[in-house]
Amino acid sequence: MATTPTDYLRQTHHEFLEASEGALASPSLQLILGKLGDTLGKRNRDAWEALPESDAIRQRARNIKDETLAHLAEHLETLEASVVARGGKVHWAADAAEARKIVVGLIQQRGATRVVKSKSMTSEEIHLNPALEAAGIETTETDLGEYIIQLAGHRPSHIVGPALHLSAQEVAEILSKPAGQRLPAEREILAAFARQALRQKFAEAEVGISGANFAIAETGSIVLVTNEGNGRLTCALPKCHIALMGMEKVIPKLADLPYFLKVLARGATGQKLSVYTQIITGPRRAGELDGPEEFHLVILDNGRSRILGSPLRESLFCIRCGACLNACPIYRSVGGHAYGGVYSGPIGAVLTPLYDGLAANHHLPHASSLCGACQAACPVKIQIPQMLVQLREELHHEPGQQSRWESLAYRLWAQSLRRPWLYRLGTWLAARTLGRWKRKSPWLTRLPGKLAGWTAKRDFPAPAAERFRDWWAQEGREEGHDEARSEGQHES
Amino acid sequence: MSRDSFLATVRQAAAAGRAHRVEHVPVPEQTGYIGLRPGEDPAVRLAAEVDAVGGTAFRATDLTAARDLLASWLTEFEVRSALTWEHELLARLGLAQLLAERGIVEHTHRTLVEMPEEARRLSVLACDIGITSCDWAIAETGTLVVCSRPGQERIASLLPPVYFSIVEREQIVPDLIDAIGSLRTTHDPLPSNVTLITGPSKTGDIELELTTGVHGPGKWRVIVVG
Repeated sequence: MATTPTDYLRQTHHEFLEASEGALASPSLQLILGKLGDTLGKRNRDAWEALPESDAIRQRARNIKDETLAHLAEHLETLEASVVARGGKVHWAADAAEARKIVVGLIQQRGATRVVKSKSMTSEEIHLNPALEAAGIETTETDLGEYIIQLAGHRPSHIVGPALHLSAQEVAEILSKPAGQRLPAEREILAAFARQALRQKFAEAEVGISGANFAIAETGSIVLVTNEGNGRLTCALPKCHIALMGMEKVIPKLADLPYFLKVLARGATGQKLSVYTQIITGPRRAGELDGPEEFHLVILDNGRSRILGSPLRESLFCIRCGACLNACPIYRSVGGHAYGGVYSGPIGAVLTPLYDGLAANHHLPHASSLCGACQAACPVKIQIPQMLVQLREELHHEPGQQSRWESLAYRLWAQSLRRPWLYRLGTWLAARTLGRWKRKSPWLTRLPGKLAGWTAKRDFPAPAAERFRDWWAQEGREEGHDEARSEGQHES
Repeated sequence: MSRDSFLATVRQAAAAGRAHRVEHVPVPEQTGYIGLRPGEDPAVRLAAEVDAVGGTAFRATDLTAARDLLASWLTEFEVRSALTWEHELLARLGLAQLLAERGIVEHTHRTLVEMPEEARRLSVLACDIGITSCDWAIAETGTLVVCSRPGQERIASLLPPVYFSIVEREQIVPDLIDAIGSLRTTHDPLPSNVTLITGPSKTGDIELELTTGVHGPGKWRVIVVG
């Protein structure tokens, strides 16, 4: 079937549907996605319920984010001065290419060839690993999920559980390769193998790369939150630590941190606190036996300043916990890969079009039922549904995104609203044609032409056989009169 | 792009973004502080929360009881080498003597600095257990706060598969907000590394099921003294 680039309706649903249909047809993926709502999703909900004043705490975190972004440049300057005062170095990267160049350059300057990484969505965003490999640098992801998908060559399918899409059986097959023997599909054995294999990598690595959950301007610290401990090993064993952060991650004061930690862990996994929260302030000090001798902080813009000045600024509040994914009925049906970007789920449907371009990701703002579960789950109460609607509107103004067919439909609609007689004629005709269906069945199961897209997935309610205005003229008004009379009687 | 043009872009964007600020709902100053229930014993709560996050907590009435408990664990785990902190509480406990009596090799700052780097690396990676105290313990969450400094190595609570922590009642604070407040007032600049430890190493990366000990210690025991 031929499609034209301007054919908005068809294209919109085509790509996402194709990927989604694959996901819906995968029994192992459906099995694990089916568990998501009762595991992570339930833990998120229980955590909010158990937290006294959870709404006010989230509001507090939200207020701090908003306030910080209003003066972001000043906070970044303070952060820079504090990091430098503690012996670290700060690098500024306007886009992904610049960030990659900085990181590769820092590693090559040391003559290093072996790198370990702690999970960092920002490094996924800038596609760091291919750049490191192209430069001949052996790069090992050390978060268990990231390690698995790196070996398999997959993209992360969940913000906090990157290998969520794989069954234990599939993980066993993937890990059997580096193990050089068939590993059984038992979690304990698989984790033990990863521990041993990755310890070796940690012992050999010259550079550790991490992201940053937060950066504290006042103290020059970065904060890393993990459960496995790979983040700690990344910052304890290699001689050089490079941390990569999106510029919106800065918070002004150390005193702001507890509120974010309290909501982040609850949003991510329903824990009060994640197992390991590190506050890292510069390289090791005199006399210390572990920790890096060099500390670099790479601060990334990569489209964030464009978003900061736009109505979708609130998307920069995101602390990457994944709660909205667990809550979303769409994500829980199709999984992360269907979204086609680094970030998936409701927040991914906002972020990916913003970072990678709206036209190229025009299907994503529609990958939502706007039910609001994401906003209810969000630790900083981001109004995701509202932003998706905003993106849908912006999409309509994108050149090449308007469909002639859709424009025609809306023009007709506008014309008929401007001429009451035309509107009346239209509804009269609809009631006398489509309305006849109602007598056979309240649902239309097949619509013709372009409208078939709707009925391919669900039925369309048949229009009433009688227009409201006709009903009102005959019966509604009468009933109204009756009520008015009876009320009058009560009064008397 | 240079630093200055980066910041100039951000400054301009932040100014434009002020037109799109979200509605501020004022929250009371105390919002977010949870702490203890009225009349609750911090030591009891800490022990309960450590258990709740997958560790195993034991109460000891005094240092002698703590030492006996620790001695029984050293036997239970057939410990041959230990990675330890140099800490005032561990000194009072007589940890060095306890280990020496059992022929357990103790690696601590004092011994590690004497070693060539390669030997040191192999020794610490091979240790059976790690033993530390903490800078603060948070009762409400079952958390230990450990600050790095010479003698308080980060690897002691990280590398070995089994980790024992000794905590005294005086070290316990009710809430995370108290611990961060104390950190701020006692350390300027902050230590190079402050780690909040809340449980044994965990992952849910395979089929969303809990698996412990993937990178850090899989077994975590805490003695709360007093």
